[in-house]
Formats: sequence, C-alpha cells, structure tokens
Amino acid sequence: MIVSAPMRSQVRPLGIDVRNLSKAFGLVLALDDVSFSVRPGEFVSIVGPSGCGKTTLLKIIAGLIRPDQGVVEIGGLPINGPGPERAMVFQDFALMPWATVLRNAAFGLEVRGVPRKEREELARSVLAKVGLSGFENYYPHQLSGGMQQRVGLARALAVNPQILLMDEPFASVDEQTRRILQDDLLKVWADERKTVVFVTHSMDEAIYLSDRVFVLSPRPGRLVRVLDVNLPRPRSSKETRGSVLFAKLVEDLWEVLREMQ
Amino acid sequence: MKRACRYKKILDRLPTALAIVLFAGAMEVVGRYDFSLFLPRFSTIMRTLWNLVMVGPLWEAILRSVDSFVMGVTPAAVGGILAGLVLGRYPLIAAVFDPFIGFIMSAPLPTFVPVLIVLFGVGRVVVLLTVFLFAFFIILVNTRAGVEGTRRSLVDMARSYGASEVQVLAKVYLPSALPSIATGLRLGIINGFKGLIIAEMMLGLGGLGRLLAQYANVYLISHLYAVVLTVMGMALVGAYVVQALDGLFIRWK
Repeated sequence: MIVSAPMRSQVRPLGIDVRNLSKAFGLVLALDDVSFSVRPGEFVSIVGPSGCGKTTLLKIIAGLIRPDQGVVEIGGLPINGPGPERAMVFQDFALMPWATVLRNAAFGLEVRGVPRKEREELARSVLAKVGLSGFENYYPHQLSGGMQQRVGLARALAVNPQILLMDEPFASVDEQTRRILQDDLLKVWADERKTVVFVTHSMDEAIYLSDRVFVLSPRPGRLVRVLDVNLPRPRSSKETRGSVLFAKLVEDLWEVLREMQ
Repeated sequence: MKRACRYKKILDRLPTALAIVLFAGAMEVVGRYDFSLFLPRFSTIMRTLWNLVMVGPLWEAILRSVDSFVMGVTPAAVGGILAGLVLGRYPLIAAVFDPFIGFIMSAPLPTFVPVLIVLFGVGRVVVLLTVFLFAFFIILVNTRAGVEGTRRSLVDMARSYGASEVQVLAKVYLPSALPSIATGLRLGIINGFKGLIIAEMMLGLGGLGRLLAQYANVYLISHLYAVVLTVMGMALVGAYVVQALDGLFIRWK
C-alpha cells in the first residue's frame, strides 16, 4: 500500500464507536457486549483487574483481533483490520532489536511505502519531539526502558494518526520515569490533539491522564462504570496530584474496583 | 595499542602451535624406528602431500569435492531457509510435514545413501543429493525454530501499521530468525561436508572421499594421511568462513 507521507500539520481527530463487542477465547468470555463511544480528541483510559479483557478490547479497536460479535466504527465507518488513522503503542515497546532507533521510529512509514529520505526526516523530527535527538543510531538494547518507550511513541506519532491506542505503555518503567513520560504524553496530546485510548491498571495514571475512565469487570469483561474526570487542564504532577479532587477521584475509582473483587 | 593487541593474539596461540610442533616431532621420531606401517614419518606424509598436490590427483579431487559441495549446499541453504520460514509461520503446513521431517532426522543420514543409489543409480547426482540432505534439514529446523521464537508483539506491531503478509515475513520473521539461521547454516555446512565425504567414499566417483577409500584399500598409508590432513584443513578453513558469516549476521548484538 502506498500512501503519501502524512503532513505534520494538524489532523482532524476521529471519534470511536464501540458497539456490542463480544469476544470469547475458547470457553472464556473475554468481552461481553461492550459498548461505548470516544469523542474526537478525547483522552480515555480503560482500567480493570487483570483478565478483564482490556488488552483484547484495544487489539480489537486496532484491528488486530476480530470480535465474535459487534462492530467498531471510526469516524462513523466500520473497521476491517488495521488502518492508517490508528497507531498502537505496546506494553513491551515492540522495538525491533536488530534495527536502529531511527529505523524503528520510521518503521510505520517504511511499511506504508514512504521513501527512505522522507521517512527518515519525519522520524528524526518526531524523535526530537520525544526528546531522543542524538540517539538515532543507537540500538534499542542500548537505551533505558523509558527511552525505549519514547521510541515506541515516536514510531506511532511518525505516521501522524488521528487515534493513539496505548496498551499499558508505561507499565514496565520505574515510577519517576513513568511520571515524566505521562507529562510528556500530555504535552504531545495537547499539541497534536489526537484521540487517545489508554489501557492501564494504575488508578493514579488513569485519573491523571484522562478525560474519562472506563472500568471493565473481569470474566466476562463488561463495561461497569464510566468516570468523568473534570480536573482542569493543563495538568501537572504538583498541582493536579496535590488537589483534593484528584484524591477523591482516585478514591472513587478504587471503590468501584473494590466492589468487583 | 593495536600492535600490542596483535602480539597478545600471537602469544595466545603459542601453546597450540607448540603442541602441534611437538606432536609432529614425536611422529617423526617414532616413524624413524619403522615401528609400524601405520606410523609413517611426519616428513614422509608432508612429502607425499606435496607430491600429490604437484602431480595432480589431489588438486583434481579437491576441486571436484568443492564443486560437489557448493552445488549441494547452496540449494540446501536457500531451500532450508525458505522451508523453515514457511513451516515456522504456518503451523498447519508444519503439521503436515512434521512426521516426515522427524522420520528423516531420527535416522542416521548415511542410511539414505543406498536408497538414493537405488533411485538414481551410481551417479554424481547421488553425491549432490547426499550433501543436500545432510545440510537441508538442519538448516530448515534451525530457521523454523528462529521463526517460531519471534516475539508476538513485533508481529502485532507490524500488522498494526498495515504490513502485508510478505512484509511481515521479510521485515519481522526473517530478521528475527537470523541468529538461528546463522546457527543452522554453520551446522548445515559442517554436516554437508560429512555427507560429501561419505557419499564420495561409497560411490567412488572422484573427490577426496574416493581418494581416501582408494588409498586405504591399497595401504598407501602416507598417501591416506596426506588426504586426511587435507580434509581436516578444509574443514578448518570452512569453520573460519562460517564464523565470519556468523558475525556478519548478528552485527547488531
């Protein structure tokens, strides 16, 4: 598939409509009749205990897994596999160990047939955006976990998608790195206005980042609660995490999760 | 700095070199006592080797063996890698071929040489096929293991960016399997060489294997040893070549 290189200019964010999704693996019902909508440009987190099917849900939205029932619509059109308007960021970073940082960051463009010069130029600019200028010729194993995930984020941003799908992207980095990555992500999101679906098992992270938090129950995975997070933006660790409202929201979320145990 | 390094390398090899010199010397001494027909002097072996090279049969045999080897191993490498990719990627196809692969790999491979002779007659094609068989399966199995060890998330990643099946194979499975493929090639080359000598000995159609059999049959002991040394030397050179290949494959590590 050959498409012209996406422009770095603003893209119109797209909404996501998930309708009556069900998916079973063998006898285990991973998702049971899940429906929700994500507004264009919105930041939504999906939380729930392990085994609640949140990664499965994200992979269905990414077009990597076909649901047994239900549809996912993006900008009003049903999806049929992966598409150029979506990009995914993976929990284990999914970097190719044999490729340099630059080639990894340019991989989405490489697959889409963007000529080398052009894609490397684009990759350099997004690497700069995530703070990795000067690391273009490193190999992933030479970088820390936090830096590796920045490459993963750069790869997703390089294709300039309208929708970012993030699967526990910061789960395997240490706490201080995680907070820095969260702030950087919020900055990028404020800059580029993409729709984000963010899977996490951290309540703190979900509240800090999101406009709304969707809570899934385990086995079968059902959408049991939607929490509105009306914390003012721009958010910062000091102001936001120190606020009474933040503490209350985390407590509310914890209530919901505890009821499920 | 660099020179010091070189000296160190030479120094490291000194014990090995010394051992070889001592061994050759001991053989020379024992040989001078005419102990046994089977213990010729080292110098006699070397002189015979020199004569064989100069007069011709050895050169001819080496060229023929190398030729057969390359003609057998090249298709084995290409075919083994391709088959390994396919079997590693598509478990359904693998399930069909698995019993046969297991069957062939469980038997000692020389078993199949007489079968090949029955099928194709005494001809050079049997030598080539033997080399192929000895190398093909080991390359296939290693390639396949490498493909099967590919991280699931890398495949998901490539697909999520819209990679086609061919792109996923070429850009994810193949590079991910390269270290295993290098191992497979190394083992395949070593094994193919074994197959070559065995087939040449059994068929007597020329090459180093035939020279070995011929000299052994008429008790030309120093001739025999001269050829043995040649075969060992070629295996050593081959090992170095393959090692260099290995480094090339996994530069990124």
